[in-house]
Amino acid sequence: MTFSAPVSPLLDCNTLSTVADSGDIVSFVSLMESMGASPEDQTEVVASFLSDTDAKVFVAGHRGLVGSAIHRKLVALGFTKLLLRTHAEVDLTRQADVEAFFAAERPRYVIVAAAKVGGIHANSTYPADFIAVNLQIQTNIIDASLRCTGGAVSKLFFLGSSCIYPKHAPQPIPESALLSGPLEPTNEWYAVAKIAGIKMCQAYRIQHGLDAISAMPTNLYGPQDNFHPENSHVLPALIRRFHNAKISGANEVVVWGTGSPLREFLHVDDLADAVVFLMDRYSGLEHVNVGSGKEVTIKELAELVKEVVGFQGDLVWDKTKPDGTPRKLMDSSMLAGMGWEAKIPLREGLADTYKWYVDNVVDN
Amino acid sequence: MGAESADAAEEIPSFLSDTAAKVFVAGHRGLVGSAIHRKLVALGFTNLLLRTHTDLDLTRQADVEAFFAAERPRYVIVAAAKVGGIHANSSYPADFIAVNLQIQTNIIDAALRCAGGAVRKLLFLGSSCIYPKHAPQPIPESALLSGPLEPTNEWYAIAKIAGIKMCQAYRIQHGLDAISSMPTNLYGPQDNFHPENSHVLPALIRRFHNAKVAGDKEVVVWGTGSPLREFLHVDDLADAVVFLMDRYSGLEHVNVGSGKEVTIKELAELVKEVVGFKGELVWDKTKPDGTPRKLMDSSKLAAMGWEAKIPLRQGLVDTYNWASASGAYLAVEENELIEHSGGAVDESGGSGWAAFSLAAKREHTAAAFEREMGFEETTDPARLPTTLNVNHFKIRARIGGGRKSGPWD
Repeated sequence: MTFSAPVSPLLDCNTLSTVADSGDIVSFVSLMESMGASPEDQTEVVASFLSDTDAKVFVAGHRGLVGSAIHRKLVALGFTKLLLRTHAEVDLTRQADVEAFFAAERPRYVIVAAAKVGGIHANSTYPADFIAVNLQIQTNIIDASLRCTGGAVSKLFFLGSSCIYPKHAPQPIPESALLSGPLEPTNEWYAVAKIAGIKMCQAYRIQHGLDAISAMPTNLYGPQDNFHPENSHVLPALIRRFHNAKISGANEVVVWGTGSPLREFLHVDDLADAVVFLMDRYSGLEHVNVGSGKEVTIKELAELVKEVVGFQGDLVWDKTKPDGTPRKLMDSSMLAGMGWEAKIPLREGLADTYKWYVDNVVDN
Repeated sequence: MGAESADAAEEIPSFLSDTAAKVFVAGHRGLVGSAIHRKLVALGFTNLLLRTHTDLDLTRQADVEAFFAAERPRYVIVAAAKVGGIHANSSYPADFIAVNLQIQTNIIDAALRCAGGAVRKLLFLGSSCIYPKHAPQPIPESALLSGPLEPTNEWYAIAKIAGIKMCQAYRIQHGLDAISSMPTNLYGPQDNFHPENSHVLPALIRRFHNAKVAGDKEVVVWGTGSPLREFLHVDDLADAVVFLMDRYSGLEHVNVGSGKEVTIKELAELVKEVVGFKGELVWDKTKPDGTPRKLMDSSKLAAMGWEAKIPLRQGLVDTYNWASASGAYLAVEENELIEHSGGAVDESGGSGWAAFSLAAKREHTAAAFEREMGFEETTDPARLPTTLNVNHFKIRARIGGGRKSGPWD
């Protein structure tokens, strides 16, 4: 189908997809005509993402925690043309390489799960890498997606994380908290890059009509996570510590603080499910929080991990040590309003993750 | 890292004494870059690397890297950017964020990777619009990222904030001597006098000049004239830039302002006087005033021993003389012309372009001017200029001559 004028980026995509989904060809064609399409054109209804399983989908970063989960999900949904490139095959920080890749492959969908990620220690030590590599990756991909000739790329999905929000954001953290106050200094390099990515998606939508959306997940866990002794997050760190204590026959595991801070966790397979849900149904300007909406105290988490791992010794709290942020919870009501919810309970997710850990990480 | 000989005791020359060294001034044809260029020439720098957009597309990573590998500049000043007013930012948000991110990321990264540590120092320029919309006045450096940005220029602002952060990160991780400075509202030769896109000071010059030429009885300005603004002549900025290059190697960005506020009323009266408009200056007090105050806190720079030297009256005279000589008040924005004409614009500063005199342009001009004054964006028809008041803008069009088309047509 051709249009006599460029489709307005301000067109309400919900209206369009609602009419398309209704299967009412008469309404659909008249809506197309109101946008300038000629009736004698071939009427090709734009397929929804989930039904478009023959289309080329580029999953950038398919080997990371998030990318691998999205990869798994797409395979399970029957997608047959996944474009997967390792760093050695396509260096996403190289503008010309990314452009050449897009010109050669012309993906219809692009999911940006590639990023330089790491914990507090890594961010503090390699701030230049965390800001520059991420800026380069996302700028190259978003720009190449736009310029891919013939509008080959019909939708792009950009991923960030909850650390884009201000250090003292209200809890639960709504999307509107973005840029409302100072960032957490220990990850400001990554955060600034990711904020720029969200804004770039918005700007490309406004000026060029590129269907680019962004999602910000809460704390993630699951297979392929980083269990590194120095760099891992709290959940994989607990798994590793309880496992090592079990294996070595230790009497106790000591955890800092009182265990009272509240945290939210989302299994990465739930995130992958949200990603395909949003790819299928969301074309808005604003980024979308993706959380489970379920909080646990660190105490509850530690006890659950101890149980799942099967450590028989004592869990001891060193109350002389600091507790950290009292609460970190994303406000995912926008996504819930669209009809999505997480499905993997924490206990089940932990069991799944521990099994993967034992099978893939231990003894490596 | 930068010693030229094996003698470990050799002192690294200060920037100001290093006049034979290669200095890359990216964006040397813009308002800021051209002033820095003038300053460096006046200071005796003999090895300036100047590249137009056609010579070197700063948005191309490989081209920038090749340039650095071939030229190996010792100093880099990043005055190249995609800039524009509220209207331009709203219409081209993708360009404003992406082009600026690409330019600065390419240059800072290439500067680091330039083999043998050739680049000794880099200065990154931004603007006062990086600060939150409701920053405390005067605005200190610490206000950065402390609150929401002004929506109308958030695209540019985010890119520039990322640039500041990138300089900091490269200093921390790699020891690159990268500094950033954020100037206040600038004015001066080579400014943009475009009907739609110019800022308040050149807009006032343009309006009073056109009214003088047309023999109008009055110029009407919205509001009471009470809002306070700060202006800095671009030659003062260039002076601050070389000062900082010579003396500052800190992590934090540095505000560069004159520290002198004027009310819009004082400004308008001064412009009227400098331009020599004999009619009335009338204030339409029924119209809104805009942001009450916008002033940068430049005490950090002042404590280092720098201060602005060009008084406003003198700077306005200088600017008006330049504008009259070059016909800039009738010209369109040079940057966009350069981009769209592939570099074919006359280097002398835009003379030769015919004026636009469409009714729509005049109406846009009024609205753009008022928006630039800081008034709230509105779609309320009752508050938008509806009828054309020909007394506002009787621009005598230059007939004949080529006129290039651009995105404002």
